[in-house]
Order: sequence, then structure tokens, then C-alpha cells
Amino acid sequence: MTGLRRGLHRAGIRPRLRRRELTLLLVVGLALVTGWASLAAQQAGTLDLGEPTLLIVYLGVLLAIHVAFLISGRRMDQYLLPTAGMLGGLSLLLMMRLPQGMAGQSLFGTLLPLAPLQLVWLVLGFGLLGAVAVLVRNDGWLRRYKYTWAAIGIGLLLLVFIFGDSRGGQLLTLRIGPFSGQPSELLKVILVVFVAGYLAENRALLTMTSSRLGPIRMPPVPYMLPMLVMWGLALAIVVIQRDLGAALLFFLIFLALLYTATRRAAYVLTGLALFAAGGFVVYELFSHVQQRIDIWLDPSADPLGAGYQILRAMYAFGRGGVLGTGLGGGLPQIGGAPAIPAIHTDFVFAALAEELGMLGGLAILALYGIIAQRGLRIAATAADDFRALLATGLTLVIVVQAAIIIGGNLRVIPLTGVTLPLISYGGSSLLVNGAIVGLLLALSDPGAELPPLPSRRPSLWRRLTGRARDVGGRIEEAIS
Amino acid sequence: MDTFTIALWVLRLAFVALIYIFLLLVVRGLWRDLRAGIASAGEPIGRLLVVAAPEGQPPAGSAFALDAVNSIGRDVNNSIVVEDTFVSAEHAMLTFRGRAWFIEDRGSTNGTWVNGQRVETYLPLGFGDEIQVGQVRLRLERPRIT
Repeated sequence: MTGLRRGLHRAGIRPRLRRRELTLLLVVGLALVTGWASLAAQQAGTLDLGEPTLLIVYLGVLLAIHVAFLISGRRMDQYLLPTAGMLGGLSLLLMMRLPQGMAGQSLFGTLLPLAPLQLVWLVLGFGLLGAVAVLVRNDGWLRRYKYTWAAIGIGLLLLVFIFGDSRGGQLLTLRIGPFSGQPSELLKVILVVFVAGYLAENRALLTMTSSRLGPIRMPPVPYMLPMLVMWGLALAIVVIQRDLGAALLFFLIFLALLYTATRRAAYVLTGLALFAAGGFVVYELFSHVQQRIDIWLDPSADPLGAGYQILRAMYAFGRGGVLGTGLGGGLPQIGGAPAIPAIHTDFVFAALAEELGMLGGLAILALYGIIAQRGLRIAATAADDFRALLATGLTLVIVVQAAIIIGGNLRVIPLTGVTLPLISYGGSSLLVNGAIVGLLLALSDPGAELPPLPSRRPSLWRRLTGRARDVGGRIEEAIS
Repeated sequence: MDTFTIALWVLRLAFVALIYIFLLLVVRGLWRDLRAGIASAGEPIGRLLVVAAPEGQPPAGSAFALDAVNSIGRDVNNSIVVEDTFVSAEHAMLTFRGRAWFIEDRGSTNGTWVNGQRVETYLPLGFGDEIQVGQVRLRLERPRIT
């Protein structure tokens, strides 16, 4: 044992125990195994349970990431991984329970149905989480090239406008050969990186007031420009991409970051007023926006058409009651079609709330609450403005998105189609949310707060990255 | 009720109960963290990290805890004493005013610089900005809360 430790030390690795994370992961494993047993017994009708291969693979991946964290010796947050693991496990159980034909993709000649496919994405997403958390030790590459990131983001958006596939009235999916993905998922992260970088650099100037507009004191006008650009971008997404959820998400996160950076409620109020004005114009001009609002106000006006989905969701919440029908005990499908359209993406919360009841639904909300608390805590303890804003923004991407779709499911706000982070079916969403949690973990390590060191030994890798940096630097100059 | 129905109920309720046990464990841990945070309240509002000091005083890597008003200079009466040949006796003021940090040059001989830009009168600062007085480079950072 001491020999092993000495060997690791010689390689520059100092393992550090993570006892809380291990305890919590054990509870997660116990809970998921119990849930799986309940599901299998319900489906089989006996206590003869069948084989738990998928679940064992998933739990094995969580444990492997825990071990990787141990060996890396970084002093990272110990609550995020178990919480994300619990959400991912709920996702896996739900996908095992839903009709397997809802989604499928052939991979290396074998056709994967819903649950194994979701497992593949979960493994890739959590793998990305672990890799980002262990490997990202320096944030200079995010901080310095913010305009390059913004350009990439807008480029992605343009690609979708031009080459994207339209599905269900929304222009979201981009296909390249056999691969398809939703760039708007990635766009969220890129946007947060850009806004955090911009605000960290100009924070002090934005808090000064030098120009006046009637009774409102404003910062120097040129620094207000990005706010207007963001507002325009949000509207463009609504109009061209027909994606109300993403637009709402972008704008809310932007306002929250602006408030975090400047502590000025006036900005938030101005922003909300702009959003309300934009929303009103869009409502008047576009029928799909009007339809969303009408369904929200009265879904039973068109019970078999537009309002069908949300009505079925309300029935599902009702059937669930306080304790739920038990995993596998809900109403899966009506005559071959799923009871709620898009139950595996937009309406996962309704499905889980039916089978786990109000208690289960509240527990899911609490899990997102934990992510919020940890993320904002990481932001509060960060060493500088960029890290604080980045951590705040990343946390909000997950939490605000969860709030938007759960609110939509419950008919608290108009339904807009975004995924429930870490639970909904879908590769892009799982990969991006995995990367977000990984980045939060990387930011939580106080040992990562070293200044970007000047390069000492120019190796081949350094020369290559140096070349890439030159190109990035030139793009930065051209834009700013 | 047969044994199967009872077993199914037990499993269902145990699943939800275990999720709540997980939440309880997390909340207990977070509560302890918060208590530890409250116990160490009354901390400085920022810190000034010495990035480079060619003459070794103050040593590079050390940090000053900041108050709302800090004076920088070579004179011993400054709250942050910087022993450097190119630093004036009363060199600069670093102050926190309500929302933001400001640095002000006090007529020093060799000037005060922020991120490579000379401070003419005063400049607003953000956490992460680098200040140079004489040959000494200092970085404004958030206080450590943990």
C-alpha cells in the first residue's frame, strides 16, 4: 500500500479521500437498485426480477468517476457528482420503463432501443463530466477568447438556420453524415462563457453611471450594446428557430448574470420591460406563439388537438397523487401511442411524477435545488470575477432550464420545449449538461486558482497550442 | 393482500424513502458547511496577492487582506508597505466604494499601472485585475470564504 502511494507520488499524483462523495454514491446506488427492483417486479408480476445489466453498467461508471477523482487528488465539490448521478439514474429507470420503440438508433450494426441508447448517452455524458473535472486546470482558454466563442456560437446558429432539420415545427436539429445533434444545447454554454468574459472585463465600467435617459441613470452607452445584441438574438431565435424555451432561457440567464455583475436592479427591470415588449410584438405577429399561450390558458378548448399533450400530463399528475402509482404502474400507452406525446423528452417530469407521486416530484425539485446551492456556493468562493460569473451562469443553465420545463409541465407557465437536464432522453442535452457539471467541479477546486503560468519549456504541444492561440488572438482583434 | 402486493408496496415506498435519505444526508452536510461559514464571518472584503516582487519584499505569493481603504507605498505608515526602489513613499490608494474597487495614484514618481495601462487620476477595478507599482505586480482577488 505504501509502495503504491510512493509510486503515485513519484508520478506527481497525490490521491485524496472523498468520504462524503462515497457515502452519498452508496445511497444513490442503494436507491437505484431498490427502484429497479420495484420496476422489474411490477413489470414481471412476480418477484423474479430478471437481469440488471444496464443499471450495473451505470453504477459502475459512477464509481469509476469517483475513483478517477480520488486519484486526481483535486479538492473538488463532493455533492455534485452524487446529485447528478441520482438524476441520471432516475433517467435510466424511466427509459427502461417507457415503451422501448420510442427512440432507436443503429450503432455498429446493432439496433439500440430506448433504454440501452440512453445508457450509452449517459455513459458518454458522465465520461465527459469526469474528463472535464479532472483535466481542466486552467480557464485561460475560456477567458481570453470570448469573442471567438461568441463567433462560434453565432456560426452554429446560422448553420442550423441554413442546414437544420425541422421537427415538430421547431428548427433545431443539425445533421452531419450519420450524426445529428442540437447545437442550441451547446450554444447555451458558449453564451455563458462569452457573457461571463465580457462582464468580468467591463464590470467596473458598467457599475458607473455617466449617461442619463430621463430619470434612469445608465452606464456609458457603448457598454449597453451587448445587452441589445442579446435581446435581438433572443428574438431571432423565437422568430426563425421557433424555439421559445431557448430564447426564454438565454434572456433570463443573461439578465441574472448582468445583475450578479453589477448589482443594479434597474438593468433587470429594463431587461424585463424589453422582453415584455418583444414578447408582445412576437405574440401579435406569430401564430405559433399565440397557440402556445392559448393552450396554456385553456387546454380543454381543443382536447384532442393542440391541448392533448398538456391535458394528458395533467391527468398523469392527478393519477400519481401523493405516493404515485409505483414505477411501471402508470398508464404507459393508449392503443399503441404513448399516453403523453414526447413523454421521453419534454414530459419526463410528468411521467416521473405520475409513478413516484408528489413526493417523488418534490424530491426531483430538491435535487435541482442542491445543484443550485452548490453551484452558487462555488461562484461565491471563486477567486475572481470571471470564475464567479462563469459558475453562476453554468448553474443557472441547468436550474433555469429545469424550472422552465417543470413549470411548463405543471401548467404554471406556457409550455416551451426544452429538455429536463440530466433526465430527458437525448444525446446533445446529456453531453452538454455533463460538461457543465464537470466544469463546475473543475471550478470548485481552490487549487486551480493559480494564475496562467508563463510557458517555461516550449514543447511540441505548446507550440501547437501557441499557433492556435495566435489565430484566436487575430480573430479577437478583428472583432473587438 | 398477497405477499407480492405487499412486497411491491414496500419496494415502491423504500425507493422514495431512499431518495429522501439521500437528500437528508446532503442537507446535513450543507448545513454544517454553512455553520462553518458563519463562524468565520467578519472577514476581509478582498485580498491583494503579490504576483511578482523582484526585490523580494513583500515575497511573491504572499497576500494582504484588504479593508475598505488601503494605502500603498514604501513609507511604514502605509497599510500595504511595498519595499521596492521604484515605489514612492506615498504611492497609491486602493479603496472600495459601495459597488466597486477603485485605484488612485497619489502623485507617484514612476506611476501606477492597471493591466498595463497607466492610471492618470483614478480607475475602477474588478477582481482579477493586475496592479503594478514600481517593479511589484499585485493582483486583486476575492477573499477566500471556505
